[in-house]
Amino acid sequence: MSARTRRRLLARGALLSPLVLFLFFFFFVPLFNVMRSAIYDPVIARAFPVLSRSVEGWDRAGPPTPDMQEALIADLRGTTPEVLGDAVRRLNGMSSGFRSLMSKTTRALEAAPDPATRVDLLAVDARWGDPLRWQAIVDNLSPYTDRFLLAAFDLERDSTGAIAAMPPERAANFAYFTRTFVISALVTGLCILIGLPYAMLAASVRGRQRQLLLAAVLIPMWTSILVRASSWFILMQDQGLINGALIGSGLSEAAVPLLFTRTGVVLSMTHMLLPFMVLPVFNVLVAIPGNLMPAAAALGANPLRAFWHVLLPLAARGIVSGSLLVFMTSIGFYILPAILGGPAEQLISSLIAMYSTKAANWPMASALGLILFGITSMLYVVFGRIGTTPARRN
Amino acid sequence: MLRLWKLAFGLLAVLFLLVPMFAILPLAFNDSSILTYPMTGVSMRWFSELVEENIWRRAILNSLIIGLSTAVFASVLGTLAALGLRGSTGRLARFGNLIFLMPMVAPIVVLGVGMQLMFTRLGLNNTYLGVIIAHTVISVPFVVISVSAALAGIDPALERASANLGASPRATFVHVTLPLARPGILAGAIFALATSLDEVVLTLFLGGAGQRTLAREMFAQLRENLTPVIAAVSFVFIVGTVCLGAVNVFLRNSRRFRAEGPAE
Amino acid sequence: MSATTSPAGTAPAHPTRPHPIIRCDRLSKSYGTVRVMENLSLDIAPGEFISLLGPSGSGKTTLLMMIAGFEEPTEGAIWLDGRRIDAVAPFRRNMGMVFQNYALFPHMTVAQNIGFPLKMRGTPRREIAGRVARALEMIELGALADRYPPQLSGGQQQRVALARALVFEPRVVLMDEPLGALDKRLREQMQLDIRDLHRRLGLTVIFVTHDQSEALTMSDRIAVFNKGRIEQIGTPDDIYDRPRTRFVAEFIGETNLLTGRISGGQLRLPDETRLALADGNGAGEGDEVVVSVRPERMRVIAPGTMPEPGANRLEGALRDVVYLGDHLRLQIDAAGQALVVKQPRAGLAPQPGARVALTFDAADTRVITS
Repeated sequence: MSARTRRRLLARGALLSPLVLFLFFFFFVPLFNVMRSAIYDPVIARAFPVLSRSVEGWDRAGPPTPDMQEALIADLRGTTPEVLGDAVRRLNGMSSGFRSLMSKTTRALEAAPDPATRVDLLAVDARWGDPLRWQAIVDNLSPYTDRFLLAAFDLERDSTGAIAAMPPERAANFAYFTRTFVISALVTGLCILIGLPYAMLAASVRGRQRQLLLAAVLIPMWTSILVRASSWFILMQDQGLINGALIGSGLSEAAVPLLFTRTGVVLSMTHMLLPFMVLPVFNVLVAIPGNLMPAAAALGANPLRAFWHVLLPLAARGIVSGSLLVFMTSIGFYILPAILGGPAEQLISSLIAMYSTKAANWPMASALGLILFGITSMLYVVFGRIGTTPARRN
Repeated sequence: MLRLWKLAFGLLAVLFLLVPMFAILPLAFNDSSILTYPMTGVSMRWFSELVEENIWRRAILNSLIIGLSTAVFASVLGTLAALGLRGSTGRLARFGNLIFLMPMVAPIVVLGVGMQLMFTRLGLNNTYLGVIIAHTVISVPFVVISVSAALAGIDPALERASANLGASPRATFVHVTLPLARPGILAGAIFALATSLDEVVLTLFLGGAGQRTLAREMFAQLRENLTPVIAAVSFVFIVGTVCLGAVNVFLRNSRRFRAEGPAE
Repeated sequence: MSATTSPAGTAPAHPTRPHPIIRCDRLSKSYGTVRVMENLSLDIAPGEFISLLGPSGSGKTTLLMMIAGFEEPTEGAIWLDGRRIDAVAPFRRNMGMVFQNYALFPHMTVAQNIGFPLKMRGTPRREIAGRVARALEMIELGALADRYPPQLSGGQQQRVALARALVFEPRVVLMDEPLGALDKRLREQMQLDIRDLHRRLGLTVIFVTHDQSEALTMSDRIAVFNKGRIEQIGTPDDIYDRPRTRFVAEFIGETNLLTGRISGGQLRLPDETRLALADGNGAGEGDEVVVSVRPERMRVIAPGTMPEPGANRLEGALRDVVYLGDHLRLQIDAAGQALVVKQPRAGLAPQPGARVALTFDAADTRVITS
């Protein structure tokens, strides 16, 4: 390597490293935190370090071994109240009654402060004889857990450790996934339905007309998402412009509910994402030689067949990348459904936000986030293979 | 017949695209305190409320602090990186695209969760710095793209000419490369500013009561009490967008970079 | 680095004509395994106008870029005025260069462009203004000092580029196909202007071109490049009239190549026709050689007429005639070879298919051995 190339490499490194480091710390580390927090939950392991070393030899079905009882007592004595409190809260969430059981037990231990005194747990409370209690602790002793990832799909491990469906009254997460996919698919479909002819139209005209059509796509892209959301809000009110027009023209007798409905959310999301469909398709279409359609017509294809056999296959690449872009963006939508949708239109992002900001259930939020991120990344990889430049985020 | 259909479709589609942009704007001048049509009279009261009411003034100030800082951070980091990636091919270029453009596609709420987990530990939650960092992360790709495009558009012969005429690498950078890349850098900074001004989710996750930006305040008001100030803010946003867009167009068409035909 | 006998830092003491201002000593250049220049040496005298002529990819631009400092030779050395410069950064070489598409800075005015090299050299602002004004006067563009380059025509840009390359009075001026983007009329005008400047200012010019007529018009010497080597170097006369290789003969102008063997000091064609030669150019009896005869040195004569004494004569069939204004271009099949003759129209009206005879002097033949 010559001195000159080495200098050039060094300069490159020096220029690249600030952003690489910045993104490493403030983009990749946070994402890594999400991954870790989705599968790493040390709350219980931290509270019961001794117990985690003495569970071997227990058959899960029978009463706890004397070793285990000793270990639990040692842990209850050795762990700080804060750490124990976290663990008890977590255990109580999984099987109720733990809080009272634990406080009763710790009180009993405080009454016998000498570690040498033997305390019989079963005598303190008969519930300690129930293997299910012990299972709840033992199964969560490992800091690594698939519990939250399973819960994202409304699954859990039953008493034997096998994966099973959650009881319906607790199953609430997976519905968000199906809803997100249904709404995103609807939006993608609508975008194709409007965007393809729009792009064809823009590609078929020239000069001022083309500029106008493209500007109509680009201006919304440049406009604040909040302004667009507010505008839709005004349009879709019961006494808003759309209903005013419907009633005024006699198309409808009474106001059609739009705000806080699926129709409204899908409509506004389509509006938001239409540019991401139009632009890739338009780019592909303008690259097609202008005389192909007339050529097909000259060869005897009627317009519909020419469209089906000539134009559509050529435009397919644009449609696929546009669809990926639209779908990928819409599954991450948060703001529009939050403003324009009712409870039944909230997508995964809202669920994640709910778990993290309201319920402070970080592992659950992280597990859902990890799955959403995984899906998006896969779509992005496919999109990158097909190759068009990524456009603006939502 | 086909032409008629084309015309009708084009008109409807353009209406669909543009009406939702502007439907709210007239309400900024409505004198009713309910955010809805029909208009009952013309008034500027919502604009005066926007600049006089404490929460809105605070929000405007916050938006400016955070937006401008983001624009500065993002343009510095993004410009340096674009210079580092310049002329690279193969593995380095792929690496750069992968790393630097990824913040554009990561779901924003997921990023919010991750940053919140981390910022809590670093004590950055509910601080300006935290929000600025978060906004910089998601706006830096625009700067990288914009500056890279500007750099790719510079004829390498110009820098050779500069060296040939006696300019040291430093002087070449200062007198030739940087001025030629400036429109791209400014466009990137504008993109970053616009991204920050419009950002809600990360601000929601990471900012406290002290960092409520205009966008964040608008989001809250839209969900809670629909004050017509929202329409006034929308009006300001649209005017701002138009101005920034005009600056961008002006930069691109800047007189001295454009051929105006032979002078003879 | 090389086997020069002299110590590094001084030019090797070859007994050359005027001391060379630029000496390229056994330069080679490889990109990976691809060798684009092979052991190339070239001396350039002060005040000389030398053209590097060759097809694209022949190495002429690579050599220019090495002299300018934008390419590093893999092996060999470059000397400027007795100082070795092949490791010196381009901005310290003090050579003016006119680039292919001028490379004018679009964000600087004409005056700023021309003043740039002076500014880089720390010239006082006052002096810059004066020298820029004089340079503008020289290229007759004083009125456009405050325009930006994109607002100028191609010819005007060309002149600005020239002024910018000359204003700091460099030792050597490098030109990389500077006229390629101009139309024919303007190009011919600029050729004369540049030659005039060269003489008036006593410049040393290294001029890269792929246009042989441009090289013939402008140069003191021409170096013909092929496949990373210099095929022949010499005055335009030399190169045109005495091509040393088949490549040079074919690349410079149009020529007829007759293949045959030397026999008794004459050329024996495959059909046993014998042709008198000016000299054997070192070829021995029985050697297979190629003989070049320029089309304008051949004349078509009526089939019956005898040539002047000592002139060669061939008979053949006229295949085609092309009228080119003041002269004709005739294609003739003779002695198993396809030949081209260029001659004035005067009195000739041959029809394609007719039997014709053609003649040329032995003095106009050139034996090419390699």
